[in-house]
Amino acid sequence: MSESPADFETGRYLYCVALDDEGTSLSTTGLDDEPVRVVREAGLVAVVHDCTSLYDSDSATQIQRWILTHQSVVDDAGEAFGTPLPFQFDTIVRGDDEALRSWLSDEAETLTDHLDALAGRWEYRIEIVWDEAAAREELEEADDELRDLAERREEASEGTQFLLNKQYESRLDQLVSEQRRAEAADLADRLSGEVTDLVDLGERSTVGLDIGGADEDVDVLARFSVLATDDEQEAVGLLLDDVAADPGIEVRFTGPWPPYTFTPELGGGDAPDEV
Amino acid sequence: MRPTKSEDDALVDLVDVILRKGAVIEADVVIAVADIPLVGLKLRAALAGMTTMTEYGIFEEWDEAQRLRHREGVDRRVE
Repeated sequence: MSESPADFETGRYLYCVALDDEGTSLSTTGLDDEPVRVVREAGLVAVVHDCTSLYDSDSATQIQRWILTHQSVVDDAGEAFGTPLPFQFDTIVRGDDEALRSWLSDEAETLTDHLDALAGRWEYRIEIVWDEAAAREELEEADDELRDLAERREEASEGTQFLLNKQYESRLDQLVSEQRRAEAADLADRLSGEVTDLVDLGERSTVGLDIGGADEDVDVLARFSVLATDDEQEAVGLLLDDVAADPGIEVRFTGPWPPYTFTPELGGGDAPDEV
Repeated sequence: MRPTKSEDDALVDLVDVILRKGAVIEADVVIAVADIPLVGLKLRAALAGMTTMTEYGIFEEWDEAQRLRHREGVDRRVE
């Protein structure tokens, strides 16, 4: 029987899976105030609520509320059971508790391996904002080729001036971008030495929701996600103090978050191509 | 420096991962698999309309696949 993805009668919305800690319970509410509970199997707990449909909305406010709730349930689970394996929003296991237990049991080894590797570690986000305008100015003064172009531009006719200007801007953009990449790579190097794992998220924010108060016009030098123990997190904090000592640099350091960036794909082996 | 953790931080830092990353299950027991995102249609449409994501084309392929599936699903129910 083949069903479409949105077609089911009984399902379990899955927030996260964690290593079971016998005697530990979890009392919290989930999306749309659904009561959250744990399903136990094979030394694991799945944190779920019962549901019969996908969570779907075109309202940014609604999505935002769901995401915050999803996150807070995973947080509560993390506090109760230690670092969880957080699932993507709207991950729903088809069927009842029995179906969920049988999935947990099938995947027990993989899940346990991943959870063991993540134990005692959390995800932290680091965003480095720099003063790009100041960097541009410095490069304009320091680069011989730019100074030469600027001089020639002064004396040139209007048409040539236009061309020289283009050359100038393109050279400057290239230098700025080279510098940004070099500084980001250097930071990544230094941070990598302190943490369990690091992912370079690139300089562009991927936030897709229009959330109020986002400062749009900052020049991001680099964004990283790191997986760290408490000790590693402290070391990162010290390193970032050092980075932030530069007056042109601002650092955002957030966490601890569930290790969303460091979770595996489970089951299925190779990702299937288009159907 | 100590890490901070506010609701705003969560929204700024986690929206993308909660929607698109997190552990992904590829198994028949799960509502959506691998190439199909697990989020609903309208929700993805709302996200796809937002500039940063569409610039990267993150949702386009998924959209098509999902719409196809959804149509098939609807057809089946109608039959």
